[in-house]
Amino acid sequence: MIAPFFENGVFGETASLGVALAIGIAFGWFLERSGMGSARKLAGQFYLRDLTVFKVMFTAIITAMLGVFWLGWAGALDVDRIFVPETWILPQLAGGVIFGIGFAISGLCPGTSCVAAATGRIDGLAVVAGMFAGVLGTGLLFTRLQAFYFSTPRGVYTLPQLFNASQGAIVFGVVLIAFAGFRIAEMIERRFTRASIE
Amino acid sequence: MKTLSLRILAVVALSLAGLAAFAGSPRRRATASLDVAALAHDVQTEADHVTAVELARWIRDRKPALRVIDIRDSAEFDEYHIPRAERLPIEAVVKTSFQPGETIVLYSGGGAHAAQAWVLLKARGEKDVFFLRGGVAEWLDEVMNARIPANATGEAREEADSVAALSRYFGGVPRQVDSVVPIQSFKAMTARVRGRGC
Amino acid sequence: MSAKPYSNPYLAGFGLGLVLLSAFVIMGRGLGASGAFASGAAAVAAAAAPKSAGANDYFARYLSASGSPRIDWLVVELIGVVIGGFVSAVLAGRFRREIEKGPRISDAARLRLAFTGGGVMGVGAVLARGCTSGQALTGGALLSVGSWIFIGAAFAAAYAAAPLLRKTWI
Repeated sequence: MIAPFFENGVFGETASLGVALAIGIAFGWFLERSGMGSARKLAGQFYLRDLTVFKVMFTAIITAMLGVFWLGWAGALDVDRIFVPETWILPQLAGGVIFGIGFAISGLCPGTSCVAAATGRIDGLAVVAGMFAGVLGTGLLFTRLQAFYFSTPRGVYTLPQLFNASQGAIVFGVVLIAFAGFRIAEMIERRFTRASIE
Repeated sequence: MKTLSLRILAVVALSLAGLAAFAGSPRRRATASLDVAALAHDVQTEADHVTAVELARWIRDRKPALRVIDIRDSAEFDEYHIPRAERLPIEAVVKTSFQPGETIVLYSGGGAHAAQAWVLLKARGEKDVFFLRGGVAEWLDEVMNARIPANATGEAREEADSVAALSRYFGGVPRQVDSVVPIQSFKAMTARVRGRGC
Repeated sequence: MSAKPYSNPYLAGFGLGLVLLSAFVIMGRGLGASGAFASGAAAVAAAAAPKSAGANDYFARYLSASGSPRIDWLVVELIGVVIGGFVSAVLAGRFRREIEKGPRISDAARLRLAFTGGGVMGVGAVLARGCTSGQALTGGALLSVGSWIFIGAAFAAAYAAAPLLRKTWI
């Protein structure tokens, strides 16, 4: 069990920042390559013209998900040492709704707004600035939100636990749903054969 | 060409997903290792626990990335809990991945369960973990109803005053004692504290 | 140089998935973006009012014991995102100074919406403990219930809000 390398002490904090940079560069590269740095393309998802967002996101999710499962099974990756975000049901539900509304209004998300700004899009810069203001403002008003923010905690709570199923069964289910989604996405896009505006 | 690569990827993904459903779990053996020598050393050198006063100082001074975890049930938690504590049952605690840099302090009613949770978290590789050896009882006895010797001088006096101030910070009621320390019942201690409101 | 067409979304998604997987394997953590914004906000708060920033339970997490901002993994990662996006765009002839919008809206209005939407996303990201990178991609791949709740809620809300904003794009 050698991975995760950082958790097992293979390298230290300073080197981890070098890793951060490298991973970030690759992250930004693939986001731009797929057109995720273009607000017009992202918005296309929500008008059922261009479902690239769904395809990119879910392909990425199932790739990493399958990778974690099989590397864990092979004994190469200690899956329990991976930091899994904890669950707070109500704040994440509310946060998701609010985030989705903001996404529809701006046409970009935090990561893609940085890509957009990096590729010359002024609207990308505006989203970055807005995000910063929003996070700063929320932080300043944090005492008022604190009770809600910490409500309904579940700790680390995963789909296998929720459905009382094995991790493999859930992995299988998610992949099936993703592929069904891809099929539907292709069908929807064929109905709107308007070419993606560059 | 591109279609071929996509087809291959799709077939591989679906096969891996199907196999995952059969495999069930990516973990084939227990994922914790007990370095008993190291753990015994921690216990011997008292590096495994914190005192209630130490914890109180950490909370008051807002030690960064401090997590105080109460592993009792919700009825006990609602009746009284250490300020800024979060409640996580022991089964959830061992599944939670903590951020590197977080300091974890576990506590229970008397300390036994927290000590068990300490062993489990250390076995999982967490580094910055402590438990409150005397549990809530120690917190109530040493912080909320701290005993202040009436005739202390010099350094002892300073320490006593510091603990008294700490006690009052949390809304506690320090008590002056001469030499005989009356044994307080748990209920009496909590009743005294709850009487202060909040 | 005329702009090259975008890559196939499935192939790019596969690449993105491998990047996410390598973060799990190398670092034992996933990707993120909104956390970097929180670090930045904490730094600004600390510069303006160090004592209250340290006392704020949200910002305190991103500041060291002395109250100065810690160099956050996510901040460096986001710098990488900017570099990677820039290089990819330049190599593909897609770097362009413009304001992306539809024909029926003015530049100023579009920029106002962009800023406002960003602000709203900031609120949502704080409550949800992340955004599409940290919660949807990372938490989604790790099968966290809260992350999947976030994905569903965000997509549903965006689809619901989109008709009100048609003029921005179409």
